[in-house]
Amino acid sequence: MIAAVRNAHKRLGRVQALRGVSLEVHEGELLALLGPNGAGKTTLVSLLVGLRAPDRGEVRLDGRDPREPAARRVLGMTPQGTGFPPALKVREVVELVRAHYPDPLPTAEVLARFGLEGLAGRSVQALSGGQARRLAVALAFAGNPRLAVLDEPTTGLDVESRRSLWREIRRFKQSGGTVLLTTHYLEEAESLATRVVVLDRGRVVAEGAPEAIKRRVGLKRVRLRAAELPEWPEVERREFEDGRYTLWTADADALVRRLVQSGVAFSDLEVLPVSLEEAFLAVLGEEEER
Amino acid sequence: MKLWWAHTKAELLVLLRTPGFLIPTMLFPSMFFLMFAAPNLTSTVAANLSTGSFMAFAVFTVTFFQFGVGTANERENPWSSYVRTLPAHPVYRNLGKVATAAVLALLAALVLVISAGFSTPLDLPLARWPRIFLALAAGGVMMGLLGTALAYLVAPKAALPLANLIYLPLAFMGGMWMPPEWLPKLVQQISPYLPSRQWMELVWPAVAGDPWRLQPWIAVLAFTVAFALLAAWAQRRDELIR
Repeated sequence: MIAAVRNAHKRLGRVQALRGVSLEVHEGELLALLGPNGAGKTTLVSLLVGLRAPDRGEVRLDGRDPREPAARRVLGMTPQGTGFPPALKVREVVELVRAHYPDPLPTAEVLARFGLEGLAGRSVQALSGGQARRLAVALAFAGNPRLAVLDEPTTGLDVESRRSLWREIRRFKQSGGTVLLTTHYLEEAESLATRVVVLDRGRVVAEGAPEAIKRRVGLKRVRLRAAELPEWPEVERREFEDGRYTLWTADADALVRRLVQSGVAFSDLEVLPVSLEEAFLAVLGEEEER
Repeated sequence: MKLWWAHTKAELLVLLRTPGFLIPTMLFPSMFFLMFAAPNLTSTVAANLSTGSFMAFAVFTVTFFQFGVGTANERENPWSSYVRTLPAHPVYRNLGKVATAAVLALLAALVLVISAGFSTPLDLPLARWPRIFLALAAGGVMMGLLGTALAYLVAPKAALPLANLIYLPLAFMGGMWMPPEWLPKLVQQISPYLPSRQWMELVWPAVAGDPWRLQPWIAVLAFTVAFALLAAWAQRRDELIR
């Protein structure tokens, strides 16, 4: 186990950001921390990387308190956003980070892996949004760490950049590295993770293999016009308005099949994606009312 | 050592590549000196004292704003939290900042001495410089800590206007711009209680070649400790609410 959080509580100002979270990161796994905005993902990460101490509970990185600088030698992290020191060049930023590690990757390799070759002498201010984001992720790997913590690595990236980042993240894992990734994209967790922990309002609400988590919170909306519909077990939640049903389901295929087989007259059938935020409201809403 | 240099280098590069900040900061105290002080300095004694005062003003400008406004801007910048996740004690980064501010302060003081050399009958024997340097450094540390405390106490956007509101009166009432005897009566009564004035009580004897008295050293040390405690407290408080 490379990192662990035990029963951590953390209040930030007036917000109780974490309410008793426990989490273990095992060597060699790719753990996705999934949750809607405001779930406490970033706060939890800030404990693991030594930026904050928990109010209660315990945090361990490589068996030590992550607030100790030496414990963080195993750790590489992505800066949130793209606020690099304004006047520095790409190479200088990478080298500043490398200087902190005993056995870092060569600068040229870091840049090449993340599609930044040829930009070494570019001022960080002159980078495009996608390039800046790639540089941010590259910094997590520059020190050749055992654990890479990627806080929302692909937010704001186009599809192609996202795919190429995923490729590099997988490659790091295949070479024995451990990854902790936060995301609010179910697709990202599904595509990369070996295990998913779902966080909502400061608590762990689900944990398991990506497929299992997807079945639980990966909802689709099926909309159709019909006079009346029977109750079906696939439907997590239903709404009826202006002669139009909206059905929330984890398995849209099965629901549509059942709909057709039932012989109910319907029209204007649509299958729509559901954001994680909406899925949480539909599925987990009741659990957190305490 | 490697880490200290890595951080110092990064800070210095940022500074060198933002001439819009660097040049005005270095020239402002000298400009002030040339416009308002130099024309009245006819004797060497007066020129020496005034140059000493304005060197302190130059050091004050650099350290107070470097640590005040600089730190305040950093609080909003995600990069500074990122750097705290790197495996290095924060002391390396802070020492990098201190080194950078020291270089900048030295340059600003140098520009001032050169300006004074050309415009006044300045004559400071080499033997006095070690004490002048020591006095300037002591005050620079004190004002850097005051700046740091300010940066963590107020909202980042308020730091610059508030810094000006503190810095200009402290310089004026402390006697950095004119001898204390020339200050208005009321200000003369307040002046001895200000950290800037106590600092000047170290600078003036060093410039004049007179022995130091113990009392201003104790005062400057006490202010330094007080500002350091305030800065440390404000920084902890800031960490808790963010």
